[in-house]
Amino acid sequence: MKEIMAVVRMKKTGATKKALVAAGVAGFTAVKVLGRGNLVTDPQAIEECKEKLLSMGMDEFSEAGDTDKTVTSFLDGSRFFPRRLFTILVHDDDVPRIIEAVAKANRTEYGIGDGTIFVLPISDAVRMRTGEAGESAIW
Amino acid sequence: MVLLIRAIVRPEKKDDVLAELSSAGFNAATMVDVVGRGKQKGIRIGGMVYDEIPKTLILMVIPDEARDKVIRTILAVGKTGKEGTFGDGKIFVSLVDEVYTISKGTAGL
Repeated sequence: MKEIMAVVRMKKTGATKKALVAAGVAGFTAVKVLGRGNLVTDPQAIEECKEKLLSMGMDEFSEAGDTDKTVTSFLDGSRFFPRRLFTILVHDDDVPRIIEAVAKANRTEYGIGDGTIFVLPISDAVRMRTGEAGESAIW
Repeated sequence: MVLLIRAIVRPEKKDDVLAELSSAGFNAATMVDVVGRGKQKGIRIGGMVYDEIPKTLILMVIPDEARDKVIRTILAVGKTGKEGTFGDGKIFVSLVDEVYTISKGTAGL
């Protein structure tokens, strides 16, 4: 029995749900969370991202200094971004399949910020309706 | 070995805790706003019982070697006053079997 915790982009909630159904998992719990990842050490990746954001953020009302400040604060790694935390309880054999499904659904062109998947051991589970415990309580 | 740290801290302390952890080299974190009560059964003021006290749950996945440093940082910064106060929170540590970074598609932190 394992617990899979996946932190994914808000926009990928629907895709993740679909991928889970396709992988044969119906049950999950999802929470809105705030998260940040490891510091990005590659200066080129930051520069590219900054250019893209600056070109998106500028219009006739915004001042160059303000936009630059906002974009810099976006990229220095200290800011938290909204993410969705999926918690899925699965049988041991299903773990690789489900990880693959979730990872595939969440991979984007941006790379950085796609999220992480953690697998934790679970000692027991109980289905409230019937009281059955152990593996049969999962699905 | 990889560990999951679940720290329940005061919402007003979360920024300090996270900033301190970040400067100690542990930038990656997830936080959730939660409500809960502890051993003191909430707070009793007059006849009112407040047993859904707002807290922030910080989730961090760290390598085993970093355990002491992270826990000591959270304990030191998350505490209220010198002696600490009821309601400062708790830290839970659990094992993580596997970690995957989606963008890289590889295992590992």
